[in-house]
Amino acid sequence: MSEPIIEVRDLVRKFGDRTVLDGISFTVEKGDTMIIMGGSGCGKSTLLRHIIGSMKPTSGSIKIFGEEITTMSPRDLDRLRLRFGMNFQFGALLQSLTVGENVALPLIENSTVDPSIVDLVVKMKLELVGLTGFEHLKPAEISGGMRKRVGLARAVALDPELLFSDEPTSGLDPIMTAVIDQLTLDLTRKLDMTAVVVSHDMTSAFRIGTKMIMLGAGPKQGQIVAMGTPEEIRNSTSPEVQQFINGHPDGPIPLKLAKADYLDRLLGHPRPGDIGV
Amino acid sequence: MRSYLTLNAQILYWLFIAPFRGRFVRWAPVFQQMVRIGVQAVPMTALTSFSIGITLAMQGAHELTRMGASSFVPDLVAMTILRELGPLLVGVVVIGRSGSAVTAELGTMKVSEEIEALEVMAIDPVRFLVVPRFLAMMVMLPTLTVFGNYVGMTGGWAICHFSLHMQTDGYIRRLVESSHPMDLYSGMVKSVVFAWLIITISCVYGLGVRGGAEGVGRATTNSVVVSILTMLIADAVLTAMFFFTAS
Repeated sequence: MSEPIIEVRDLVRKFGDRTVLDGISFTVEKGDTMIIMGGSGCGKSTLLRHIIGSMKPTSGSIKIFGEEITTMSPRDLDRLRLRFGMNFQFGALLQSLTVGENVALPLIENSTVDPSIVDLVVKMKLELVGLTGFEHLKPAEISGGMRKRVGLARAVALDPELLFSDEPTSGLDPIMTAVIDQLTLDLTRKLDMTAVVVSHDMTSAFRIGTKMIMLGAGPKQGQIVAMGTPEEIRNSTSPEVQQFINGHPDGPIPLKLAKADYLDRLLGHPRPGDIGV
Repeated sequence: MRSYLTLNAQILYWLFIAPFRGRFVRWAPVFQQMVRIGVQAVPMTALTSFSIGITLAMQGAHELTRMGASSFVPDLVAMTILRELGPLLVGVVVIGRSGSAVTAELGTMKVSEEIEALEVMAIDPVRFLVVPRFLAMMVMLPTLTVFGNYVGMTGGWAICHFSLHMQTDGYIRRLVESSHPMDLYSGMVKSVVFAWLIITISCVYGLGVRGGAEGVGRATTNSVVVSILTMLIADAVLTAMFFFTAS
């Protein structure tokens, strides 16, 4: 097997006393679509931010294309960043530029292509996400879902080898979700792109994923509770995984505190003559 | 403070070192910012400078006429505006108009992840956002100051002409005779220093925003307050330097 595209080892990140990522290790091979899932606030986006180098871990190692990025100089990191694209959760488009200029930005700033080619590429990429003809609008003039799709078009503008997507389909209608999923599939299967997708849309995750990891919540905060192919995850006997993929309101992942705790919190003091739960 | 020095170093790097490595400054955004910082500030600068010119002339006329020296009013107006109030007032106008806008704009970009997106696309935010604003400010604040000086002296003329019944040519001759080139130069030096301070302070506060809309508001207030304070202190220091070296 060739060298993994991403190799994360014992990644730990603490914010003050709170451990958000606790000993994460996994690898992503070329052509994989890795799905990172887990409940809200479990550290999925934080994990992604570490992999793209915008946050530094407390300890642990992250290698992309075989190069250690945690100790890398900003200049080397920039060189590496040209080889990957990132699709932000809310698009993160520059509000002062039009949709077309946003997609063109990586091309203009990081390569020396002719303006007519830039124009062509912008049209092609917008076509991919079904937004032809929206080049001249400002991000404020289009909907949230459309902004997200522009973000995806911008992420793939330089035809990256590696694509990161932070919840690419949340907030999209089912048809558009299918379109984005199909696009991700096309990019990974046909162009051999590698993708890392943060998602808690299970339909979409099972449709595009070739490998999945699930981050835990509560006492297992920041740890990987399950890892494997979609089949393995679907057939997993772990109650947390089953609860998550089937969407049960209560189970090993605690959503509510115990009733006695709840009363304490509500009243601000323990209740005299504690009631039975 | 450390981030402020780092920002200054980065600006200097992109201006003076990066071009030799084949990474030039883009001119289109510089001109865009020059329009926003400079051209659009013309009406406000004109109004402020004109008012202050009138006020100076009236105050001066009041005192000087009692001593029978009302012919010295143009001298007073020219010297005060060229050396002191011209650069200072235009600085205040630009802080209020553009310094706050730059902080708010960069701050909003920071909280909406736009800055992070730029970094991930391997686009340096300092090169892409700060350098154009910096260059625009360094050119436009001194330019506005020259313009403000003219308008201020026109304000002085309005009083001298209509109230003190001075001839226009006499007023102009008086201005030219009484002011030295050094008066203008010292004002210009001040305005260049102010431009540097205003834009770097605005940018460092904008890029340092944390915590949503509230953070943007706080950073903008701080940026304006700190800009004005620093400008006044720098003004005192510079004036002291000119004062002690000239005498």
